[in-house]
Amino acid sequence: MERNVCLIAGGMSEWGVREASLRDMFQEAGKACFEDNPAVTNKDVDGLIVASAYTERCSFQTHLAPLVAEYLGIKPKSICARVELLCASGSSGIILAYGLIKAGIADVVMVAGGEKLYMPQKWEVFYSELASVDHDWDGAQGLGLPPPAFAMVAKQHMKLYGTTEEQLALVSVKNRRNGLNNPRGHFRQPIDLQTAMTARPIVPPLKLYDCCPVTDGCAAVILACEEKAKDLTDRPLVYIRGTGQATLNNMSANMPNWTTWEALKVAAQKAYADAGVKPGDIDVAQTHDCFTISEIIEYEDLGFCEKGEGGLFIQEGKSDFGGQVPVNTDGGLLSCGHPFGGTGIRQAIEIMKQLQGRAVRQVEGARIGLTHNLSGFIAAHTVIIYGRDKD
Amino acid sequence: MIGVPILEGKYAATMDLYPQQSKEFNRIYPFYEHLKQGRFTTTKCRACGRKSFPPRVVCPNCLSEDLEWVDLPTRGKVLVFTEEVTGVPLGFESPLIHALVDLQGEMKLFVRIVNCQAGELKEGDEVKLAVFPVAPVPQEGRGGVVMQERVYYAFEPVK
Ligand SMILES: [Zn+2]
Repeated sequence: MERNVCLIAGGMSEWGVREASLRDMFQEAGKACFEDNPAVTNKDVDGLIVASAYTERCSFQTHLAPLVAEYLGIKPKSICARVELLCASGSSGIILAYGLIKAGIADVVMVAGGEKLYMPQKWEVFYSELASVDHDWDGAQGLGLPPPAFAMVAKQHMKLYGTTEEQLALVSVKNRRNGLNNPRGHFRQPIDLQTAMTARPIVPPLKLYDCCPVTDGCAAVILACEEKAKDLTDRPLVYIRGTGQATLNNMSANMPNWTTWEALKVAAQKAYADAGVKPGDIDVAQTHDCFTISEIIEYEDLGFCEKGEGGLFIQEGKSDFGGQVPVNTDGGLLSCGHPFGGTGIRQAIEIMKQLQGRAVRQVEGARIGLTHNLSGFIAAHTVIIYGRDKD
Repeated sequence: MIGVPILEGKYAATMDLYPQQSKEFNRIYPFYEHLKQGRFTTTKCRACGRKSFPPRVVCPNCLSEDLEWVDLPTRGKVLVFTEEVTGVPLGFESPLIHALVDLQGEMKLFVRIVNCQAGELKEGDEVKLAVFPVAPVPQEGRGGVVMQERVYYAFEPVK
């Protein structure tokens, strides 16, 4: 019999340029997660999924899950493994934990994810990014660093739909303001529109604040079957209602469409169908704002607005608090930063808090939340829908 | 003493931004042999006719292994381009220019444009295949270390 699955705890290490190792930050995140819900302890956890993409490249460390288990005093018996889907590693871990619990293979699973990206010499992480795209084909073209790909997307979206640089900047202004809502995020300084518009170009039309930073950090959540969750938390239960993960290509030459992310639409439709909800039912969303243009396209392809109207959606405040669907209420990647394996978990924590009514800045009455990640060369998309009600 | 002393004089494939191209390490090595002859090629399935890029050893459509090498156009038109002036990754020079190139309707390739200054490229410009040498791989074999010569490709403006 399929079981319902709930999110019962979540916490983060400090994110930013950290004077810490990967294992230091996994300990910090694990502790923060257990402190978030003192009713659940490391002795209650029967499974551990660790999400980290650059552990081999940046920490020379494979077989990471048993290491994290040892450091957090967890003795898994149902699952103890690492998962990697670059920027969507964390969300992938959550989907896998959800499936295992739903199927009765595990009962209480911690999903912990994150990265140590700052190296003693700065070139190394950028160089390692050549491994994140199709190394032999896109990496060797110097496309490891994502800005050129997203600049290409932005140029085409502007040409096709009239999206403006100011609309891009408005996404960073909103998300930097929302960054005040996450006390452990990378940036907690708001910026104004003029600062965003006059920032130095990275790859035109993308400027400094259009791009998320390189960030160290870890985050962890605990998922449990509904029966256990009732014993392990006094807070309102937050259910996983639906999931989708889709890919249609990996190398850039095989991208079906640069400005409509077809794989995102596939993943979203699957998650909406699982959850039995429509885009209009989403009360709060955390989407993958690795670049400002990404968030604009995500409004469209998640169905929050019509295709081509993403620029207007931000301009009219529809993705801000008080708008149609507040997006990236804790600052998103643009404020919190993006330690790949940690991002989907950070998003889940913010949605859990929103649905439990205890976010730093609350979306009043939020009952259905959504997270989205893109990964690689815009090559895979992952969507998870959470709800205060089980169906 | 700087770096990792035990690695001095050693080649680490894990730090190489270019692919392994020798037949000992890559079954699609003919692609690189063809590049050296100025040919831009890929594999086409003899069973179902599907042309794939990058080249394959198994057809992703019908899973046949009966593939043949076919030539792709070596000239195309710039649809959109980007210029990265600062923060160019190690191994590439500034400006690092990329363009979405329409390869005569065969495919749209997102490639690096070389031999081109910042501000020089325009949409609609014609570009052509540019093959250049990259560092050889000192590959260990029974007879000792052999330097495996390598090339890679970009496109350049037709002037
Ligand atoms: Zn075939």
